[in-house]
Amino acid sequence: MQSQTLQAQPTLIESLYRAVVKFYRGDARHFQITYLFSFLCYGILALGWEANLLKYAVIFGTCLAVQALGLHLTKKPMSGLKSALITSLGLCLILKANLPVTLALAAALSIGSKFVLRYNNKHIFNPNNFGIIVTMLITGDAWISPGQWGSSTLLLFFIGMLGLVVLFKVGRIDTSLAFLGTFAVLQFAKVVLWQGWPMDFFFHQFTSGTLLLYSFFMITDPVTTPNAPKARILWAAGIALVSFILTNWLFLHTAPIWALFFIAPVTVFLDKKFKHKQFQWTTS
Amino acid sequence: MKKILISLLLLSLLASESFAFCGFYVAKAGAKLFNKSSQVILVRDGNRSVITMSNDFKGDVKDFAMVVPVPEVLKRDQIRIAEASLFDRFDAYSGPRLAEYYDENPCHPPQPVKYSRSMSGINRKSSMIPMPTSVENKDYGVKIKAEYDVEEYKILILSATHSSGLEAWLTDNGYKIPSGAQEVLEPYIKNNMKFFVVKVDLSKVEQTGPFTNLRPLQIEFNSPKFMLPIRLGMANAEDSQDLIVYALSKKGRIETVNYRTISMPTDREIPLFVKTEGTFEPFYKDLFDRSYKQAGRQGVFLEYAWDASLTQPVKCDPCVGPPPMITDFQQAGADWVSWNSNEQSGKAFFTRLHVRYDRANFPQDLIFQETPNQKNFQCRYVIHNPPYDRTFDCAAGQTYLRKLQKRRQDEMAQLAILTGWNTWSHREYLEEFSGQIKEETGSLEKNGLGWMIIAGAGLMALWGLVRRFR
Repeated sequence: MQSQTLQAQPTLIESLYRAVVKFYRGDARHFQITYLFSFLCYGILALGWEANLLKYAVIFGTCLAVQALGLHLTKKPMSGLKSALITSLGLCLILKANLPVTLALAAALSIGSKFVLRYNNKHIFNPNNFGIIVTMLITGDAWISPGQWGSSTLLLFFIGMLGLVVLFKVGRIDTSLAFLGTFAVLQFAKVVLWQGWPMDFFFHQFTSGTLLLYSFFMITDPVTTPNAPKARILWAAGIALVSFILTNWLFLHTAPIWALFFIAPVTVFLDKKFKHKQFQWTTS
Repeated sequence: MKKILISLLLLSLLASESFAFCGFYVAKAGAKLFNKSSQVILVRDGNRSVITMSNDFKGDVKDFAMVVPVPEVLKRDQIRIAEASLFDRFDAYSGPRLAEYYDENPCHPPQPVKYSRSMSGINRKSSMIPMPTSVENKDYGVKIKAEYDVEEYKILILSATHSSGLEAWLTDNGYKIPSGAQEVLEPYIKNNMKFFVVKVDLSKVEQTGPFTNLRPLQIEFNSPKFMLPIRLGMANAEDSQDLIVYALSKKGRIETVNYRTISMPTDREIPLFVKTEGTFEPFYKDLFDRSYKQAGRQGVFLEYAWDASLTQPVKCDPCVGPPPMITDFQQAGADWVSWNSNEQSGKAFFTRLHVRYDRANFPQDLIFQETPNQKNFQCRYVIHNPPYDRTFDCAAGQTYLRKLQKRRQDEMAQLAILTGWNTWSHREYLEEFSGQIKEETGSLEKNGLGWMIIAGAGLMALWGLVRRFR
């Protein structure tokens, strides 16, 4: 009897491992959900954010409800609810508000924009980005805390690594690198070469957790980015240029988020100019 | 003190909710507790900033000099002198506080007092720059854009084209500039900033007698940049410096955007002996030190955030000092605060931030943003006194004593976690009432019997299993 259990054990671990691999390979969203959830936990447990369970519940509840309604009306499969989880986590990580109803509005706008603001089977705006910007503009009750992640290098490593894994799966690493590269070159030229700030001034900005999370998570949404790789690089560089202008001349602390809002609709034109196959979430 | 207590009582009477009971303030840890500290009052209204800089310069006033980068050439009416007492009032109002409560003796409960319910609060809702020290123009690239005599200060507004010229100009004109200033000045020049340069008018200082305290200077300007330049002050300083920022805004909390804004640990129950004369201040000092190190020496700490609007009935709970009055707001530059019929006119949100900065960990100036966040926050530490009447003969009294002992253990653990103090020397605090706890023979027997039954059942089950698998 003892020998039987000894033989059974490795098969159990092995099958568990296979199940995990299959789970993550089958749908890139599974990776993204794990990744964003781990960041939310990190923020609450290690960085001591003021976690408000009610507010998180409102975000998740609204996102899932609106998504379910949208899927039902458009007669799409309910597996689309996974996307609502990603949007919810994105909102929990970025947006803050005094009132839960403000967050419900942001959640409804984010998901609603996916179903209403569409062109050629793609979203015109990045759902999170649209919800966040519009809510901040119309309520005056919502805000973003760009300093909330700090500039810890360990965090940089983790976000970078996790981001890479997710992106290689989704194939949008070019977008992140084009954005970060262009933004870094422009900032370096202005801040270090022209103004003469020391290098640590420059690094402080580019190790900001908020910027890295944005680069690896928000702008890479495959349903909003252009289909062709060339177009994506142009598009990301455009966001970097607008971010650079907003940061240095309008002193917007959340410049990349605003830049994405203005540049996202350009995807429609880029997709017409550069023809390429459209992205599908599930590979199976 | 009497006044404070009366105002506290009045405020409490206005509060109708009764979630928590109101403590009386017994000690505070003020801004002067920290060495090398400076204080700044920061008012932000749209693009308008008013910065008041406290002046804790110690030494010969003729050596005093101050250089602050400013975004525009300031006019005479944008420069004022403020009262030093304004800082004391803001510090007293917003400082970390120790709240004290008295336990009730369960054997001798007090007679109900009518006002006890209304005593409840609604709490549950919950640099200065370098000191370097006339006017001739070689080819420094420096232009004097304006020159003012403001009471005891002589003020110049300079523009410069290159940092070496500015450094040379300042040195040649008798300002003691720290070495390494050139490198720090350059980015501000390239950013088209002007320099607000101050020294003391010795003739006026002599007239007013021995001048030990220089009064705070206040400057006002319009700029989308909402920041405090701290880097000039680090030009020649290796050590860290403490800065307390009292920020006033219309909407809500002020926070830093390029550093983490971290809330200090608060609402912790700590041992009674922290109340003893002179213990609370070192307690808070060590608590801050520990929090600062835990945050990787990079954070900006939130010590207070409260809606201090004129119409707000509870401006603090418990109050350490009187809440800011309309004259305080106006002196600080928050001139929108008034009793007008306009709803916005009485709004003011008070934020207190504490930052310990040094060259290695703060490569950028402090950049702020105003958020709509209206959540109140205070650094509040709670102590509990045992009842006055210390006879605990009844059964409820014995239960109280056991709970007290457990609570004191938790308080000691909390103290060690917060400050890193070795609590061994205070172990008598745990033992204080142990002599009065009677052995609970009856219940012990009952518990013992219970355990014996469980153990017996377990043994029988084990025996059954062994027999089955044989």
